[in-house]
Amino acid sequence: MQKTDSRNEALSVRKTGQKESFLQTVREIYSYRQMIVAFVRRELRGRYKGSFLGFLWTFLNPLLQLCVYSIVFSTILKSGIEKYYLFLFVALIPWIFFSSSVLGGAASIIAQKDMVKKIYFPREVLPISTVTTNFVNMLLCFIVVFAVVILSGIKLNFLALLCLIPVWIVEYILALGMAFLTSAVTVYFRDMEHILGIVMMAWQYLTPVLYSYDIIPPQYRLIFDLNPMTPIISAYRDILYESKVPDLKSLISATVMGLVVLVIGWITFSKLKRRFAEEL
Amino acid sequence: MEVRNCDENEYSIEVEDVYKHYRIYKDKGSQLKEKLLFWSRNKYTENNVLKGISLKVKKGEAVGFVGHNGCGKSTLLKLLSRISYPDKGIITTRGRISGLIELGAGFHPDMTGRENIYTNASIYGLCKKEIDRRLDRIIEFSGLGEFIDAPVRTYSSGMYMRLGFSVAINVDADILLIDEILAVGDGEFQAKCLNALKEIKSRGTTIVIVSHSLNQIEEICERSYWIQNGEICMEGEPREVHKAYLEATVH
Repeated sequence: MQKTDSRNEALSVRKTGQKESFLQTVREIYSYRQMIVAFVRRELRGRYKGSFLGFLWTFLNPLLQLCVYSIVFSTILKSGIEKYYLFLFVALIPWIFFSSSVLGGAASIIAQKDMVKKIYFPREVLPISTVTTNFVNMLLCFIVVFAVVILSGIKLNFLALLCLIPVWIVEYILALGMAFLTSAVTVYFRDMEHILGIVMMAWQYLTPVLYSYDIIPPQYRLIFDLNPMTPIISAYRDILYESKVPDLKSLISATVMGLVVLVIGWITFSKLKRRFAEEL
Repeated sequence: MEVRNCDENEYSIEVEDVYKHYRIYKDKGSQLKEKLLFWSRNKYTENNVLKGISLKVKKGEAVGFVGHNGCGKSTLLKLLSRISYPDKGIITTRGRISGLIELGAGFHPDMTGRENIYTNASIYGLCKKEIDRRLDRIIEFSGLGEFIDAPVRTYSSGMYMRLGFSVAINVDADILLIDEILAVGDGEFQAKCLNALKEIKSRGTTIVIVSHSLNQIEEICERSYWIQNGEICMEGEPREVHKAYLEATVH
């Protein structure tokens, strides 16, 4: 029979019992790209399905959060930072993406355990879908961010805005690496989900989201510099709040740290995925 | 059976001396507290499910696995589909594998049948273009008619299965793995499935069936394996193997 589908010959002959190469895995994930698309779409559409305002919640949610923060920080907790609501907002949206990717990623394999136990597909698809869903959600939230930035009278710098693209990519890489790591470990060790809740809260306070990098006492700066989220959050703030091109050196260090996390996550995932179906 | 321009020596599936064990935890604690406090309890016994299985399935051939519960036939199927991996030995498969194991995987109740076809088919590794090309065929086979644009939550369980089966069978896999799936649905649907399988087989798809329904295996397969305690006990013409198997069961 003539197969009409163009299939890679190397991909179709499979030997289990031997280690699969990195390239094979990547190629296989690529051939399952439609699954990622379908899962992201299902998740994005399913999230607010049945609610009266539906997809509008994607925009309403960050806007309402912004309202709460601006009320609290302009009337009760006066921070002394000019336009604090904006200062916080441009950092909070990217932080929420990161945090929900790590937490959602941790649950991503367990949530689909019936499928993992019964059907073969590259397991990487699940954390990739979760992170991508949150990423698309963040990009949609950025429509609100841009609107708020413009309305608050900040003059955006075009060159700085272009830098958003690499910052987004670096944050995606970091979030994906963390999601690989947490999703695989959680299968074997269920407490991970609960531990992560508190870890992510602590991580948020150890990242200059609510405050500025400048107020960190110099003796503690090393801890913050080793945190890959510090340069990422600072870059968002540089671009959207200060409207200047972010510091290249810190962006490069964020990229390197993000890639290191991705490699660690990938290797851990590859080692642990072989027994997912038995552990679930 | 007609052999279609494929090399006689080409095997779809080659299983070479495969071993598999599962860990049976006496009292499994996967929480930190339990792991620390009762680490001695985490000891497990090893259950050897497969002990040196070797077999070859030619392209376009249909084989069945029979045996008692726990003999390892479903485990073997899981290894073939790469849901789990062997401890020892090598499994070589050639071509795209699809399984009639979990029908309707990934269905979202609020989405329409048509939308769910895309989600479900994508789990079998089809890209959008490939699904587009199969869409009409899938809808036609399912016999759902205008219901295809209604949300899946409005479907009866029979309709749900029909849609799932229709997608799975239209993946055009080179190897189709089936685990007891023909036990579901009414008589009419079962007959339809059986006919569909025969048609798929005539197109050169390799089929592996695990079933307690010996009749179904006899109807489709050329060869049967009787698996007992993780080893192949007998192999050959289905009727003969099943006869021996039934006799051994009775005594």
